[in-house]
Amino acid sequence: MRSERGRDLDVAIAFDDVSKHYSLSLQKEATDIKTALLHLPKFLSNARRPFVALDNVTLRVRRGESLGIIGPNGSGKSTTLRVMAGIAPPTSGTVAVNGRVSALLELGSGFHPRISGRENAVLNAVLLGLTLREARDVLPQIIEFSELGDFIDQPMRTYSSGMFFRLGFAVAVHVQPEILLIDEVLAVGDAEFQKKCMDHIHGLRKQGVTLVLVTHDMMNLPMFCDRGILIEHGQITDEGTPQQVVHNYLSRVEKLLALRVEERERLKVAQGAAP
Amino acid sequence: MRRAWELLYLLTFRELKLRYQDTVFGFLWSLIRPLLQGAVLFVVLRKFIRIDVPDYHLVLLAGLFPWTWFQVSLVLGVGSFAANGALIKKVYFPRFVLPLATVMNNGVQYTLSVPVLVLLLLASGYTPNWAWLIGIPYLLLVEAVLIMGVVLLIASLDVYFRDLEHLTDVFVGLIWFYLTPVIYPLSIVPARYHDWVLLNPMASLIEGWRDLFLHNQLPGADMWPALVFAAGAAALGSMSFRGLQGGFADAL
Repeated sequence: MRSERGRDLDVAIAFDDVSKHYSLSLQKEATDIKTALLHLPKFLSNARRPFVALDNVTLRVRRGESLGIIGPNGSGKSTTLRVMAGIAPPTSGTVAVNGRVSALLELGSGFHPRISGRENAVLNAVLLGLTLREARDVLPQIIEFSELGDFIDQPMRTYSSGMFFRLGFAVAVHVQPEILLIDEVLAVGDAEFQKKCMDHIHGLRKQGVTLVLVTHDMMNLPMFCDRGILIEHGQITDEGTPQQVVHNYLSRVEKLLALRVEERERLKVAQGAAP
Repeated sequence: MRRAWELLYLLTFRELKLRYQDTVFGFLWSLIRPLLQGAVLFVVLRKFIRIDVPDYHLVLLAGLFPWTWFQVSLVLGVGSFAANGALIKKVYFPRFVLPLATVMNNGVQYTLSVPVLVLLLLASGYTPNWAWLIGIPYLLLVEAVLIMGVVLLIASLDVYFRDLEHLTDVFVGLIWFYLTPVIYPLSIVPARYHDWVLLNPMASLIEGWRDLFLHNQLPGADMWPALVFAAGAAALGSMSFRGLQGGFADAL
């Protein structure tokens, strides 16, 4: 359920007992009749095996807050953003979002290589939530931010990947969201452009934009966020100041790694001693 | 909602542009294809098989043009959710604009081919009259709603059952085409089959276009199958889209 009711003005995003299950086998085997018929019993049992991406997550993101999400690969970070953005509905639980959401899950989604950067920027801006008039009004700022110069009127197939992402980023941050969801897309372009992106995000935060950031960059988290959470196996396992959460997580990861190294050493010693 | 229409406009425009960009003949391709097909059918059916219909070339093109809109929209449109999986998974936007843009794009091409038909009609001594001013927008609307409903329905289901793309292609191109009075007028079908043929919404629609272009006749009550099917397809299409779209991002 996605609801706008029960509006608490201080809360931008509210998750209550949100779970998200994926049916793993539904994706490939269900579309292939031959496999389905040949392996009917297995197919039927398989089709119902769910993968729990989010497990009863309750979460509040306050208006104007900046929340950082960290966690290992496949722990449910991106699923969290997708559910927040409305791209995929939760399997159970309620999600309430108050405000215009812009999700940067991937830069330049929907860009077409055969049309110009200018036309792509307008279409992309409308895709991300602006009206056509707003998109045209903000276009000069997008072009200036992207630093593409004359290339803006060239078809995008002529762009380098850096140029491609610069335009994608420029559009996304000019969509004037109230809530901005970012998934690992901060590190684009050269160092100078990265700095500019960071400054722009800081600017948005000062304007009161709510930010939810998924990242593997442990250095960035304390820079951008007021609060951090750690997601593992679809559950929030740690929460606190970004420094704390990052510290706890890293020291655990280090311990784990140290354990593994120790074990390997022990094995080597054991193998060396054996003959 | 307004944003959805603007998005539809932008996507339609982009598709049109993409189709003709970097080609020598550009928009002419939209005319060459049905005209060439018409010419071949004319030679085979009129000259070889000797179908006995006055002004057969006009009867043929007045059916073939609106049929092409229907067929191409369906064949290209039913896979539009499945083909745009990457976008659907990454951005939240009104997804129904994807298949509808294909229908609009082909509708624009059909509309732009009407002047060619008018030239041929004038050359054969037909003259348009005021009925066209009401008849053309009316039939455009009915056909657009009908195609959009069908495309939205099949495209939504296609996300979960990709065979539908092939099924649609086969069914529309090999079966529906021949059962619809496109390459022949309804008048040469024996009267005892008329009721059956006219149950097909495309039959009454194509006959509606012919009556308008060749006889300056506004579509009347005979159009009911097209109207009923258009309304039904629109309702069913939007219902199934609404019910199924939540799962698109997960299924793709």
